[in-house]
Amino acid sequence: MNKTALSLAGQAAQARTHVHAPANMTVRELVRQASAVIAPLWPIAAFIARHPWMEMEHLSFAEVADRLQDMQGVRLYPSRSVLSAALARGEIDANILARCLEQWLDLQTLPVPRQAMARLCHALLKSQEESPAVADDLLDLAQQVCAKLPAATVRHGRPAVRPLSVQLGEPGRRLDQQMIKWCKLFLDEGQALWPLPGRDEGLYRAWRRLVPLDPSLTRTERARLATWPEDPETALVHALAVLGVAEDDQAAYLTAHVLALPGWAGMLAWTSRRAGQGDEWLLEYLAVRLSLEWAFCAPWLPKPEVDGAATGHAAAGDRAVRGAVVRDATAGEAAAGAAGQTDTNRDPVRLVALWLGYSGLTPSAFRQLPADVQAACIAWLDRFLRVDRWQLWLEAWERTYETRLRASILSSSRQNDPAAQGKEPSPVAQLLFCIDVRSEPLRRQLEQAGPFATYGCAGFFNLPVQTRELDSLYAHPSCPAIVEPKYEIRECPAPASSVTSYRRRRNVVQFVGGVFKKLKQDLLASLVLPESSGPWLGLYTLARTIAPGWAGRLWQRAEEAAYHKPPTQLTLVRGAAAGNGWEDGGLPVGLTTEEMVAAAGGLLRTIGLVSFAPLVVVCGHESRTTNNPHQAALDCGACGGAAGWFNARAFAAMCNLRAVREGLARQGIVIPDDTIFVAAEHITTTDELCFLDVPPLSGPAQAALQRLKQALAHVGPQLSAQRLARLPHVGPVRRPHAEASRRAVDWSEVRPEWGLAGCAAFVVGRRRLTQHADLAGRVFLHSYDWRLDPEGEQLAAIVAGPVTVAQWINLQYYASTVAPHVYGSGNKATQTVTGGIGVMQGNGSDLMAGLPWQSVAASDHALYHAPLRLLVVIEAPSNHIARVLAGDASFRRKVENGWLRLASFDPVRGTWETWEADSLPARLSQAG
Amino acid sequence: MQMHEVMFAAWLGAWAVVAASAAVLWLRPSPKPHVRLHVRLLWLPVAAACAGVMAGRSGVLVGPWRADALGWLMALYVAALGGVIQHFSVRYLHGDRAYPRYFSLLTWTTGAAALTWMSDDLRLLALCWALMSLGLVGLVALKREWAPARAVAVSMAKRFSLGVLAVAAAAVWLGMAGGSWRLPAALAHARALPGWEREALCGLLLVAALIQAGQWPFQRWLLESAVTPTPVSAVMHAGLVNAGGLLLARMSPLFNVGGTLPHMALLLLAWLSVLIGTGISLVHVDYKRQLVASTMAQMGLMLVQCALSAYGAAVVHLVFHGLFKATLFLRSGSVVPRPQRQWGLAAAPSARWFAVAAAMGAATAVLYWAVTPQEPARWLSAMFLGAGAALAWRYLSALKEGRWLGFAVLAALAALAELARTGLAGLVRAALAPAQAPPVVPAVAAGLLAAGAVTLWALAVSPTSQAFVRLYLWLIHLGEPRRAAIEPHPRYLAAYAEEAGLG
Repeated sequence: MNKTALSLAGQAAQARTHVHAPANMTVRELVRQASAVIAPLWPIAAFIARHPWMEMEHLSFAEVADRLQDMQGVRLYPSRSVLSAALARGEIDANILARCLEQWLDLQTLPVPRQAMARLCHALLKSQEESPAVADDLLDLAQQVCAKLPAATVRHGRPAVRPLSVQLGEPGRRLDQQMIKWCKLFLDEGQALWPLPGRDEGLYRAWRRLVPLDPSLTRTERARLATWPEDPETALVHALAVLGVAEDDQAAYLTAHVLALPGWAGMLAWTSRRAGQGDEWLLEYLAVRLSLEWAFCAPWLPKPEVDGAATGHAAAGDRAVRGAVVRDATAGEAAAGAAGQTDTNRDPVRLVALWLGYSGLTPSAFRQLPADVQAACIAWLDRFLRVDRWQLWLEAWERTYETRLRASILSSSRQNDPAAQGKEPSPVAQLLFCIDVRSEPLRRQLEQAGPFATYGCAGFFNLPVQTRELDSLYAHPSCPAIVEPKYEIRECPAPASSVTSYRRRRNVVQFVGGVFKKLKQDLLASLVLPESSGPWLGLYTLARTIAPGWAGRLWQRAEEAAYHKPPTQLTLVRGAAAGNGWEDGGLPVGLTTEEMVAAAGGLLRTIGLVSFAPLVVVCGHESRTTNNPHQAALDCGACGGAAGWFNARAFAAMCNLRAVREGLARQGIVIPDDTIFVAAEHITTTDELCFLDVPPLSGPAQAALQRLKQALAHVGPQLSAQRLARLPHVGPVRRPHAEASRRAVDWSEVRPEWGLAGCAAFVVGRRRLTQHADLAGRVFLHSYDWRLDPEGEQLAAIVAGPVTVAQWINLQYYASTVAPHVYGSGNKATQTVTGGIGVMQGNGSDLMAGLPWQSVAASDHALYHAPLRLLVVIEAPSNHIARVLAGDASFRRKVENGWLRLASFDPVRGTWETWEADSLPARLSQAG
Repeated sequence: MQMHEVMFAAWLGAWAVVAASAAVLWLRPSPKPHVRLHVRLLWLPVAAACAGVMAGRSGVLVGPWRADALGWLMALYVAALGGVIQHFSVRYLHGDRAYPRYFSLLTWTTGAAALTWMSDDLRLLALCWALMSLGLVGLVALKREWAPARAVAVSMAKRFSLGVLAVAAAAVWLGMAGGSWRLPAALAHARALPGWEREALCGLLLVAALIQAGQWPFQRWLLESAVTPTPVSAVMHAGLVNAGGLLLARMSPLFNVGGTLPHMALLLLAWLSVLIGTGISLVHVDYKRQLVASTMAQMGLMLVQCALSAYGAAVVHLVFHGLFKATLFLRSGSVVPRPQRQWGLAAAPSARWFAVAAAMGAATAVLYWAVTPQEPARWLSAMFLGAGAALAWRYLSALKEGRWLGFAVLAALAALAELARTGLAGLVRAALAPAQAPPVVPAVAAGLLAAGAVTLWALAVSPTSQAFVRLYLWLIHLGEPRRAAIEPHPRYLAAYAEEAGLG
């Protein structure tokens, strides 16, 4: 690296910073502020769909897109080619796009004729190219115009703070490599036989102890760190000082470092918070990172002047200023360059040329504008090209979708007019499904197949519990990530059953697997392992590959037989678990009757289920996939990334308890004695409904169950056929149901099902609103009857809970689609499970956070998931909506800042309203 | 005689058919490539090789080819492995930009590997070897949009060129010096060559074998090969890294007259690789890296067996290791631990249990060895098996319910596997020329392996010592990829998303 080639010219920080840090912030506060750009990352075994920008909702979506493009070089909008495809398929209505532009222009405040702006924007919006073409003579003209402009005007770009190592190039890449290494060794969950020495003392201290011996550093680098502080906080402060980061830039500097590897930083944030340590581990991470940065970059830095003598580097004169932070006028250039794209769009000459070429302004007219207006014009166009035009396209796509959804909902609700309702027979069975978008097609088909009524609610069934399976050491927080578990529910053997045979079977399987693992990690024994296991493994591979469906099912059945549990029951009632040998893990085991009544009553009222059929089926859901590290991503998000059967069983059992029914009756929810609650599980990969816990049934309930099972026998294959039509296939599909079950057990299948891909909307309301609409499995459905909720408490709870969960899922898919390399999980074929906590790509990478490429794309040439922000539709009078918005600041912020979109259907007036972010404050003051 | 020629011709014809089908896949990438038909065709060479193994006659000459038992056996193994892995790829790689081309290259590469061991002409052998290496580099380079894949392909190309050069040089040298390009004739003549020439020839072959097997100091390409898609890794680790062992087995007459030096050199380098490979898999945390490091160690063992002139054991090992490693790669998506399946285990084993375990291990080893003590390198397997038995017994103490059932199941599985091993060993023994290593080599080998095991164990006892920390960091460093072989975020996907339409 040529030292003189570096522009260490630290320009004065005249323009505003991205992350403005007030002076005198402690380093802890700085770290906390920097951590806001990332989201905690949960371990992959309990994959939580999380919204990657959850702590930036105080900013608008477009603003975050702008900043992240600057700081990270990541583009947060669908690409031009995807948008063109959507336009061609009619998913974007050109008229709506034009209307979006008009409305947007209305809000712009540039003292340039509106006509000129409109012409310019129209041309650039429609331009088929990423960077619109400009004629050479216009560029010459623009050059002349720019030459006469004051320098400050031309330098429109906002300076981005870039770490020294990134500016230097190679040291930055080395730094990332080293940090990946230290993070994976530190966070390993028992994959290595020899853990990182000193791991218990924390990341920084372990690193500090080992780094003087690390052969991947040069001798000089090791020597530099030999006297480095022992304490992470001191080290971080020291590193910031020796790197010469100006006080104002420190927050931005740390932010840039956090964003370099958001996955590993997110995993550290999660682990740290779970251990009750706040952002401590993130601080240690940054301490290691900046210390190493200094060790790598020290040769390029001026040496501390001890005696005032000019050192070699200081001799470079005034240019070798004391700042490591270079504020770059072409901000984000490095980041954009890092993303493999050169950003010619940001050249001011080009921007002026575009003004001249498309707006109709003459060069002289442009020159006559005041300097600050010229600067504003350049900056405005810069942002329009990078952010606003894509935002308009996205909004047009979303509004087109909304138009379609509105049409189908309005026509569905009209079909359900009150006169027709009276004729419908009362349902023989009611089914509760999770809000998950995969429930919608099954619900629709079931309702068409017989007198069944269905309801939607978050699949944890209002039970804030952690669950512990039979004999398990692990308690799973089986509720949404935003809910803190309050109780523990355990599975234990039913009174008359014996666990010995189960434990024996299970232990044998565990033993054989465990010995295999132990032998693999032994110097001598590992060498005989191929001979002792090769024939079996070869047989396994041959069978599962040649006959994936048959052998896969055989294997699955064998596994089920080995892990088949004796009849079990759940410790629902507080105090029932005492004396079974388990120590309490901090949470009370079981619920009191009052707590159960509150949980059950709350849910039933919220979804408007107050009169009961003889049979009520509580359906959790689960996916069945093989050889898939992201299996949990296809399971129930409301159950903390796990199968939903446990909560379904608990809820059904609870509602069958006599004490609970008595309590509910006192609240006005009378469950007839004949009515029985039954737990079931919807297997989303194979479109089956498995009944879990069937208590003794009353006569009518028995008949209803028979009818339901008969209906399911038809509905399942029909549904499979519909669903499979959307999945890519290698050959023709003859028997849909067989194909679906093949996908569930085929170990080479990378797209067993689409999961929640395609999710676009969330409807809160009565089923009559959507019953006759084909929502194509893209909509979350939450049952809600506004007539039972005069105070709006339940609506507020839905908005705070399930809507947030769905928003996280939606943005997880969104992010994995628009920026698959940073916010996705990369290609399934090249990923490797690391440390048992996540996946990396190839030889090593950031800890990949989102969904794999194959889960959002049908092939390398075509996306499957349409990246749209969630549209929330609520069936309630407008003043109810206004009340929720006024009462829930966080929800209001989501709407105002474009983190989701809100519409409502007024059941009284039969009208549809869109709550646009721009008009929200006015609307609320009007309503209030 | 006629019959065997027909069989061989059928086999060659089968490969010609699949190679042609692969060529169509390469040249005419259509949206619906005929991949399903292609993978069905792959059963042709398998069937033909199966017939060849059944017929079991050795040494049939057809043109420049020679179909002997080892050749047929490897033809069957490579074809079956390649076929199964391509079947797997049909769905696993579906949607990839280079989808049809993976099948082309997998077919050609495995075809070249199969033909190598049927070559009776030194020039043909070198050519097949070169094609095999080329195919492997091509497979890695298929994802060339991805910077690390490019970097690894380049580093593989460099090392493999060296290997190809070594094989070619050895072939030409042997052919010229021996006056015949025919393998048996040239090898038979090797005895007459001067000592230094024999040693140099052995040296060239050793270099080729060490590179192919990813042994120290050529391990870099192997350790960075985690960058390739899983099925390519599976083929690489199951069917191609072990070609070095087969090369040495084929050339064993040369080594028989090569003296002690080549044997000792091979032994030392292979032993070092066993240690390094095992060490890396002890400290590294990503699954594919552990697998790759384990391959390095296992190939080290294969070459130790070659150094002991136990070529039969080496061939058996490379076949079973192939099955083992291919399976582990293909199911590498299944290794996320399931927290729900963590059950309490009983306390750590008592001292007495340890003693019993040690005794069990020793008894197993002695018994195993005593069955056929004359089998070459049987004592080596006995030693490993003993260590394994001791470990398993120790682990058994952790169970409360199902302890004896677990033991019985494990013993039955191991016994049946041993039966399969014996069967294969019988086939292989018949296919190989007898060979004898210099008597000092086995003693040194035993000493080295025992010393390695004891050293690792002693260091691991005190994980806070400076020596252990140094070793730990060195193993991490050796196992880490180069900077160019990693990328924090796979940027090519951003480009894909940029160019994608809606599906």
